[in-house]
Amino acid sequence: MIGFLQRYGSELADGLVNHVVLTAIAVGVGFALALVLTLLIVRWRRLETPIVAVTGTLYTIPSLALFALLVPITGLSLTSAEIGLVSYTLLILVRNMLAGLDGVPADIVEAADGMGQTRFQRLIRVELPLAVPLIIAGLRIATVTTIGLVMVTAVIGEGGLGQVLLRGFNLQHWDLVYGALVMMILLAIAADLLLVGTGRLLTPWQRRTATR
Amino acid sequence: MTTTTDGGRTAATVEFEHVTKIYGAAAAKRGSPGAVNDLSLTVPAGRICILVGPSGCGKTTTLKMVNRLIEPTSGRILLDGVDAATRDVTELRRGIGYVIQQTGLFPHQTIGDNVATVPRLLGWPKRRQRDRAEELLALVGLDPATYAGRYPAQLSGGERQRVGVARALAADPPILLMDEPFGAVDPIVRERLQNELLRIQEQLARTILFVTHDIDEAIKMGDVVAVFRTGGVVEQFAPPAEILAAPASPFVARFVGADRGLKRLSLMRVNDVPLEPAVTARVGDDAGDARRRVQADPFRYLLLLDADDHPLGWIDQDHVPVSGPLHEELIDSTSPLLDRRTTLKDALSMLLDDAVQAGVVVDRKGVLRGLVTIDAVMAVMRQTAVDTGFETELEVDAAP
Repeated sequence: MIGFLQRYGSELADGLVNHVVLTAIAVGVGFALALVLTLLIVRWRRLETPIVAVTGTLYTIPSLALFALLVPITGLSLTSAEIGLVSYTLLILVRNMLAGLDGVPADIVEAADGMGQTRFQRLIRVELPLAVPLIIAGLRIATVTTIGLVMVTAVIGEGGLGQVLLRGFNLQHWDLVYGALVMMILLAIAADLLLVGTGRLLTPWQRRTATR
Repeated sequence: MTTTTDGGRTAATVEFEHVTKIYGAAAAKRGSPGAVNDLSLTVPAGRICILVGPSGCGKTTTLKMVNRLIEPTSGRILLDGVDAATRDVTELRRGIGYVIQQTGLFPHQTIGDNVATVPRLLGWPKRRQRDRAEELLALVGLDPATYAGRYPAQLSGGERQRVGVARALAADPPILLMDEPFGAVDPIVRERLQNELLRIQEQLARTILFVTHDIDEAIKMGDVVAVFRTGGVVEQFAPPAEILAAPASPFVARFVGADRGLKRLSLMRVNDVPLEPAVTARVGDDAGDARRRVQADPFRYLLLLDADDHPLGWIDQDHVPVSGPLHEELIDSTSPLLDRRTTLKDALSMLLDDAVQAGVVVDRKGVLRGLVTIDAVMAVMRQTAVDTGFETELEVDAAP
């Protein structure tokens, strides 16, 4: 075990950091884009069908094919990897954000309007906080999916732990292959738990119910 | 314009001027009948006005046009003489309290934050927001120390409804709109909430527009009642007693129900009935004299009092001894004591249950004031009733 760490430790650590960075950028940018798209839909409802259709189409393109398609345009680069990764998060995030916002009960929306909140205040103070559980649920799926997909970006020279795994495969260093796999699984679990915890912190009202 | 009530606080008049609401632009062009049609009425400042009627009669639409959750198709709504349509809509709404049946409390905010919603929108300092929230929770009977930090899901339905009322009152609005506020709670809690609202209103004297489909609630809560008919037409706009005594149309008579006479009893109090004197004697008085006086009176019971004129009970004239002092063991029966604020409904109910059919009315110190008899109640009811001319139709309707 110590020998293994001495041999591959720094390589695995680099891969892990790279993997985390690739995932964080993808989910972060995806989240921001999805939020913008969702707000556009909320403002102009007829945008829903085209936006969902486009993000849905992106989601169906096989990942390997998408990265291959991007290389002639953006080259073997981080940009290519991220364009692909971000597009896969959009459908899940937009859908969950919309479901969360649409799921706010009518009486709560009416009370917010009736008390004189502007459309923006209602969104920020009432609708988004109440959509948090579904938004977090979307983020969990998107994050775990992205962690898996980052591995595929090894084919265009990125890939974080995927790169490590590929190297291990080429050199037939099976312990390195398994090491990379285990790290990736642990990363997925850790990221998921982190999101669950964040969700709980953001929704204290959901835990403190029915105490009477 | 603005009526100042106690503590310098204010209430506003609400005037509907030929207000019509027709849903859908196409329907409006066709000239289809609307949800509300040519409504004109004035709610005086500081009063509770009940909008009552069957479902689909336009009462909720009428209410929501005041804070412009629904915009009228035509006509004007004046708040203290100012057309609501000319005011900034968010600013208008922050000045109007709004309570709805499902409460609409924000589940992600504590009770304290919920109550402080409008003060926060108005940019009050944090400290003042919190003080105000605590003050209002106390006003609606919820201990701030216990409740301010809880979330709505931790409260019972009745408690949530109180928070809804507190939240509506937070920024001290001159007008309060309440859309079936007590419709979703059980009858016992509803009764308590109604009484509390009346108590709060006695203190604050706001202009309250209150929607309900329950005629009993309307009669109990309203200073004035607008009875709506399907199609958004007000059939009668009058104080509850007048609606019961003189329904303006067969529809109103039918809506208030065949038992409107009994409902009128619940609006009238012992105070409204002329009291009759009783033949009385105190403990220790001479029985012979008392016997002579009670036998000379058409009413056959002697009311025995203690030394402070507190009523003790009835003695049948035949059981009053010929001589000797009167004492408590002679009492045949007792009657429940009524005070001047007892409703005639309660009084009559007690009289019907009682062996001696006369209610003993006492003042706050328990001293005898006089008697209420069924005949006297009937006489008052007859005097205040108006012959509407559709009694016959009612009887036909009521037949199985």
